[in-house]
Amino acid sequence: MRHIFFLLLIALLPLRGALWAQYVPVPAPPQQEPIAIVNATLHLGNGQVIENGIIAFDKGKITLVSDGRQRPDLSGHRIIDATGRHVYPGFIATNTSLGLVEIGAVRATVDYREVGTYNPNVRALIAYNTDSEVIPTVRSNGVLLVQTTPSGGRIPGMSSVMMTDGWNWEDAVLQADDGVHLNWPSPYSFNWRTRRITKNERYDEQVTDLRKFFDEAYAYYQRPEVEEKNLRFEAMKPVFEGTRNLYIHAELATNIEEAVLFAEDYGIRPVIVEATDAWLVADFLKAHGVPVILRTTFNLPRRPDEPVDLPFRTPALLHEKGVQFCFSQKGFWQQFNLPFVAGQAVAYGLPYEEAVRALTGATAEILGIADRVGTLEPGKDATLFISEGDALDMRTNQVTHAFIQGRRINLDNKHKMLYRKFKAKYEQIQQR
Amino acid sequence: MKGLIRLAAALLLLWHVPGLHAQVTFPENGVSDPREGLHAFTNATIYTRYDQKLDNATLVIRKGKVEAVGVDVEVPRGAVVHDLQGKVIYPSFIDLYTDYGMPKANRQQRGGQTSMHRFERRPQPLTSRKGAWAWNEALKVDFRAHEHFTADAKTAKALREAGFGSVLSHRMDGIARGTGTLVTLGEGRAHELIVREKASNHLSFNKGSSQQSYPGSLMGAIALLRQTYYDGRWYAEAGRKEEVNNSLEAWNAVQALPQIFEVRDKWEALRAWRIGKEFGVSYIIKGAGDEYQRLDELKATGMAFIVPLNFPDAYDVEDPLDAMQVSLAEMKHWELAPTNPARLEQAGITFALTAHGLKKPSELLRRLRKAVQYGLSKEGALKALTWTPAHLIDATDQLGSLEPGKLANFLITSGDLFDDKTKIYENWIKGEQFVLERMPEVDLTGTYELKVGDDVWTLKVSGNAEKPGMKLQVNDSTTIDVSHKYAHGRITLSWSPSKEAKGKVRLSGVVEDDRWWGRGQLVDGTWVDWQAVPAVAAPQEGDKPERPDRDKKKKEDPLADLGEVWYPFTAYGWTERPTQKTWLIKNATVWTNEAEGVLRNTDVLIQDGKIAKIGKGLKANDAIEIDATGMHLTPGIIDEHTHIAITRGVNEGTQASSAEVRVGDVINPEDINIYRQLSGGVTTAQQLHGSANPIGGQSSIIKFRWGYDDQGMKFEGADEFIKFALGENVKQSNWGDNFRSRFPQTRMGVEQVYEDYFTRAREYGERKRSGKPYRVDLELEALLEILEGKRFITCHSYRQSEINMLMKVAERFGFRVNTFTHILEGYKVADKMARHGAGGSTFSDWWAYKFEVYEAIPYNGPLMHEQGVTVAYNSDDAEMARRLNQEAAKAVKYGGLSEEEALKFVTLNPARLLHIDDRVGSIKVGKDADVVLWSDHPLSIYARAEMTFVDGIKFFDRKEEAVLRRRNEQERNRLIQKMLAAKKKGAHTQHPKGRMPHLYHCEDLTDEIRGDE
Repeated sequence: MRHIFFLLLIALLPLRGALWAQYVPVPAPPQQEPIAIVNATLHLGNGQVIENGIIAFDKGKITLVSDGRQRPDLSGHRIIDATGRHVYPGFIATNTSLGLVEIGAVRATVDYREVGTYNPNVRALIAYNTDSEVIPTVRSNGVLLVQTTPSGGRIPGMSSVMMTDGWNWEDAVLQADDGVHLNWPSPYSFNWRTRRITKNERYDEQVTDLRKFFDEAYAYYQRPEVEEKNLRFEAMKPVFEGTRNLYIHAELATNIEEAVLFAEDYGIRPVIVEATDAWLVADFLKAHGVPVILRTTFNLPRRPDEPVDLPFRTPALLHEKGVQFCFSQKGFWQQFNLPFVAGQAVAYGLPYEEAVRALTGATAEILGIADRVGTLEPGKDATLFISEGDALDMRTNQVTHAFIQGRRINLDNKHKMLYRKFKAKYEQIQQR
Repeated sequence: MKGLIRLAAALLLLWHVPGLHAQVTFPENGVSDPREGLHAFTNATIYTRYDQKLDNATLVIRKGKVEAVGVDVEVPRGAVVHDLQGKVIYPSFIDLYTDYGMPKANRQQRGGQTSMHRFERRPQPLTSRKGAWAWNEALKVDFRAHEHFTADAKTAKALREAGFGSVLSHRMDGIARGTGTLVTLGEGRAHELIVREKASNHLSFNKGSSQQSYPGSLMGAIALLRQTYYDGRWYAEAGRKEEVNNSLEAWNAVQALPQIFEVRDKWEALRAWRIGKEFGVSYIIKGAGDEYQRLDELKATGMAFIVPLNFPDAYDVEDPLDAMQVSLAEMKHWELAPTNPARLEQAGITFALTAHGLKKPSELLRRLRKAVQYGLSKEGALKALTWTPAHLIDATDQLGSLEPGKLANFLITSGDLFDDKTKIYENWIKGEQFVLERMPEVDLTGTYELKVGDDVWTLKVSGNAEKPGMKLQVNDSTTIDVSHKYAHGRITLSWSPSKEAKGKVRLSGVVEDDRWWGRGQLVDGTWVDWQAVPAVAAPQEGDKPERPDRDKKKKEDPLADLGEVWYPFTAYGWTERPTQKTWLIKNATVWTNEAEGVLRNTDVLIQDGKIAKIGKGLKANDAIEIDATGMHLTPGIIDEHTHIAITRGVNEGTQASSAEVRVGDVINPEDINIYRQLSGGVTTAQQLHGSANPIGGQSSIIKFRWGYDDQGMKFEGADEFIKFALGENVKQSNWGDNFRSRFPQTRMGVEQVYEDYFTRAREYGERKRSGKPYRVDLELEALLEILEGKRFITCHSYRQSEINMLMKVAERFGFRVNTFTHILEGYKVADKMARHGAGGSTFSDWWAYKFEVYEAIPYNGPLMHEQGVTVAYNSDDAEMARRLNQEAAKAVKYGGLSEEEALKFVTLNPARLLHIDDRVGSIKVGKDADVVLWSDHPLSIYARAEMTFVDGIKFFDRKEEAVLRRRNEQERNRLIQKMLAAKKKGAHTQHPKGRMPHLYHCEDLTDEIRGDE
């Protein structure tokens, strides 16, 4: 069945490929008519699942989510029969340079790293390239939203939550400047020559420097009037106000604790990113109500003695401890494997719907966009997709439909186009 | 020849011994002062050799040599007599591993950069040394230590104080370091200190101060050494007629000397041994102190060792989070390192000890005693510092024991050297006396009756001869401290008679035999006579208060609670090697990869490491049954492209071709990633050289036999492969501005590199066949093997143009490219690949990381497969290798391959590409029992490898992993507690240090064998 559909898709698409000889499909127009997906397994993104359910949406918003025992009036709706298929809220990629880089090794295409140590005012969305050939390959696997994030330096800048479809960054943005990112200094130094990790002798100095920056920024925030505007401190204001997240990238247990206490000194509840050691300080994180954007599960244990499957099990460990977390995947083009980062955690003890939640609902809550996206609930954006099978398993992940704010996304991408192109080559050879 | 050298050295020695009324080349200033140097040491306990002890014996020396030693030796008239009652004489120690008196290696700083990263350093293709020297700067074989030796009084003093009388010294710089010279640690002119000019030849795997790019890896250093051995032979036979090469001349000249090879660990010792075996050279290995971790293998080599005593300090593990930085391997080494000498001794391995690696030579005795506490016999300890080092460099005619005619190099100690309290008083070197600590003239200890005027006191002198302590016993519970001073027969005493009385009693007098007597003044200034004579009374209680305590301390046996040696020496190591068993796997879903396809509810019998039977309802006596209901059994995963388990460098990318290097020389069987990947079902992998140059190095195919040694990992009888590479890496596109000069810089040039090398290889083959003498060229040998169909190419490749190019080059030279690896644009030329007969081993979905992969697509594998190319999915990534089954699933997701075919992408197809499909890759009776039992459908992300077998040995079992995990934690905790206890007792500690092993990728270019750490 899956293959038939797929072949159909392939059969239909060459026409479009011929019309637009580039690898980024045309962004979708606004939703034209109400749509209802019926007979689907609905993964709501809040930990719940509805078998055989119905979801309807209109003008970009979800209008109905039903368990299928009711027979709602769907007249006027375009019906998609999704029998045997699964519907998920659009997966949200976090902490990624997707959109900021096109080819890793080609400097001209790299836009995620600005010069300088403290750059809270630098905004990722400005460089978000809606014409990137990479983005369509990512959304083809169900990743429909991305937190596009700068990196490097102590404070690399602000991320924004972007939609994976749009004519330009202005209409692709879902949440501009959702948070400032901060790389916590490491208490260890690494010597490349000896491959030894030793004490970072400058650690205290680096933390003091950071504190100085925050003290000044906080004072600036409290000042009733400022004579000279400081762009850096301006960017920090909403962080102190609590309307902009502070994402602290910290891996080690000691760093996580210090980072949380540091942020709390300024009345900030931070989000810890990477958080490799989060399992070690889970009780602390829980007690402080601090959520975590967890480093990808596709990782080796940090230390040679650690259990071989520790990165796979970390999500389950955090779940058991009641720490709020969401998934992330390294890199930019690698985001198309984000669903499987979650699947891997399921294989090692995380309940399935919790894994879905940590790609959707929990992510939206952590990023502060849960009022609009993340779960399948009436009133929220119709940003969702249909998969032939379990979308967290590469064996069954086949996205057939994707909608962003109700707009039906063209799931074609560069990979599929090149596939068709060279399929055609071999067909020509055969015909000869 | 050797004899001649020795004779010459002996003659030279005679010439230079001081006091021989020798004729010297230097003019004298003033009146000459010849000394006979005749001394007799009487009443001593003398170790004439480590195993020969004489009590109450006499040693006579004259003119720097031992003249006589024995119990019945008469003291010659005119000898200076030293009464050594109660003292012990030992031969002085010898250290074979020093750079005493050597000049520092001069490192030519170019632009102030000495970075390890080649990215930051300008490449240097050839030596910067002018003249007819070796092409490679790391070959400093012409360095002759004796020509550069200058005595260094400060270092000599420190070494003497540690007990050394002579050392072998060489400059620790380079891969071939040149000769070492044997010198004594006396003072005087170098002319007299040098005992033997050329006593040894030195080698290592570190290029030291060489700024030349090559070699940049351990395998490169090994290749350079091997090539140099061949070059030496060629030069002696025929090469000399073709060129003058001073380095090869020197190389050949030093071959007859003892060869000392410095290594960094036990595996490098085995690597050195294999080089030696190839060229008939026997090395003395300067080891790292971890030999105990692989005793059996090292014993089997028959090599002798020089081992350090630099036992690591305990880590400061007070902070539990900080302590996590320290690996179990390092903790275990902390505990077991002091047992190394004892274990070497018990294994019957010949070894010498060195102070090298200690912070100061003065630490030697303390460490030595520790080694004895940890089981080294005293005799063995002495032997390793005296006889063995002399023996190893053929110097027992002069050193190593105290026998007539040998150098008078000996120590005088206060007692048994291995007693903590024992002191070295004097170190005599070539008959010259060096006082380290003045011998006490008298032993004052005892109980005396002290009469001062009319008062009579009991004076107790406790402690020992060097440090007596004096007290007046007032009554059972009260004593008064007495300060004293003794020198040259005179003694003074003083004390405060009571707390109330302000002032002191002061006495002065002489010590004559047992009686002390003289005059003194009381507190009020009154002069009195006084004397002290030994008390007659029996010793009272409280005389020896410390004794019982000390005995108790000694009972604390350091060997009592030692951990075991694990194989490998890391977390998840075994204490006992797992063995082949007979297994009956019942009721599994079996993915055969054969015509039978997927068999449900099927049993598989594994016997003698092979798959013995496949069927339903199988029965077998004495088989261990595994209920595999609901589980899937597949062939072991085969990773066609890995860089794990490789030591010190994956790329010898310093030249356009490095065909001479072999990854098989640098297998690291202790890489934890082997175990991690077993937990992902991987059983076999090809370890590839990196992709920094068009012609890389020779590959190694290993089975994941966790716990085996490096050679035991190798896939026996597998064909030989070599790595080639194309595209951006080899033309250095992303290496930075320093790298714009090496040919090739374009894809055009890459073709010419191949054209040229294969042309030369062909000509080399012709020369070889002609029967004329030729220089064995390891690089061209490897390429010739390709032309002769004995070696097969795995080529890193991305763009279709160059893929096509290499196939055309191969066709012109009459061979086939075996495998294109990465091959991300293989889908564009799959028809050509199929026609040529090349396979493709690719990533499932990698792309966009550089320009040449901008058209990489996840449909690549299925498209190539459809055109008849044998397709594999590989990792090139230590993490992803654990999930290759998931990667295979992507061939179903993208491209719609059948699940059976997809699984073959990571099992049978890589086996085919590696020519090992007759042994592995499918579940078929008679094939190796390399299988994986999965909890779920093997292509599903939810499948966990529950058990992984290699050769019928269960190397991974998820349930056992949980047990090992707990054991790891318990062992860590035990060691942490032990370190805390050691710290409390005052042991030195170091701040926790972590180690981040290098996870290599194709493009890693770090220079791994620089000496400047």
